[in-house]
Amino acid sequence: MINPYDFINMISLDIQRFAHKKGQSSTQNGRDSEGRRLGAKAADGQVINAGTIIYRQRGTKIYPGKNVGMGKDHTLYALIRGTVKYERCGRNKKKVSVYEV
Amino acid sequence: MITVKKKDNVITISGHAGYEKTGEDIVCASVSSIMYTTLNAILRFSNDAISYEDDKKKVTIVNKKGDNITNTLLSNMMSLFLELAMQYPKNIKIESEE
Repeated sequence: MINPYDFINMISLDIQRFAHKKGQSSTQNGRDSEGRRLGAKAADGQVINAGTIIYRQRGTKIYPGKNVGMGKDHTLYALIRGTVKYERCGRNKKKVSVYEV
Repeated sequence: MITVKKKDNVITISGHAGYEKTGEDIVCASVSSIMYTTLNAILRFSNDAISYEDDKKKVTIVNKKGDNITNTLLSNMMSLFLELAMQYPKNIKIESEE
C-alpha cells in the first residue's frame, strides 16, 4: 500500500493553477459619480415665477439674457414672473430671457 | 480560455479558464485536479515515465517512457479534458495533432 504522506517526487497540487492570478486582472477603474441632472428646467414659452431656475449648467453654455440672473455655479434663474424665451446671442452663442406676461 | 495541446508524446496546457475569479474558478480547479492527479499517479508508478515543466505560462508534459500505464493514465486525462471542453466550451479547448 502506498504511503499517502510520501510526497517525495510528487508535484504539489494547486487547484487554481489555471485561474487568473489574484489582482492580475483587477482594474483601478469602475467608479463614477452620481449624475448631476444638468440642463433645462424651464422650456421655451413656459410661464414661470420670479426665482424659478431655468437652466443648470457647468460654465456658460447658455448666457443670462433679459430679466435672468446667474448664480455662482452658472445656474440661470428668472428675476421676474414671465415667459421664458431661448434666443441666439451673437454668432454661435445662446441666451435665455424672461419677458413680462 | 485554457488550451490543451497534444502533439505526439507532448501535452501542453496553457491559459486561464476565466470562468470565475481566483479561488472560485471551478473549471480551473477541475483542470488542475485532473492534471495533478494523473501526473502524480504516473510518478508513483514510475518516477521517470514523464517529464513535467511549469514556467507559469504553460505546463509541458512529455511522455518519455510510453509504457501502458503512462499511456492509459494520460489518455484518461485527455478524455476528461475533452469532456470538460464539451461542458465549458468558453473556458477550455482541446487541440490534438496526431
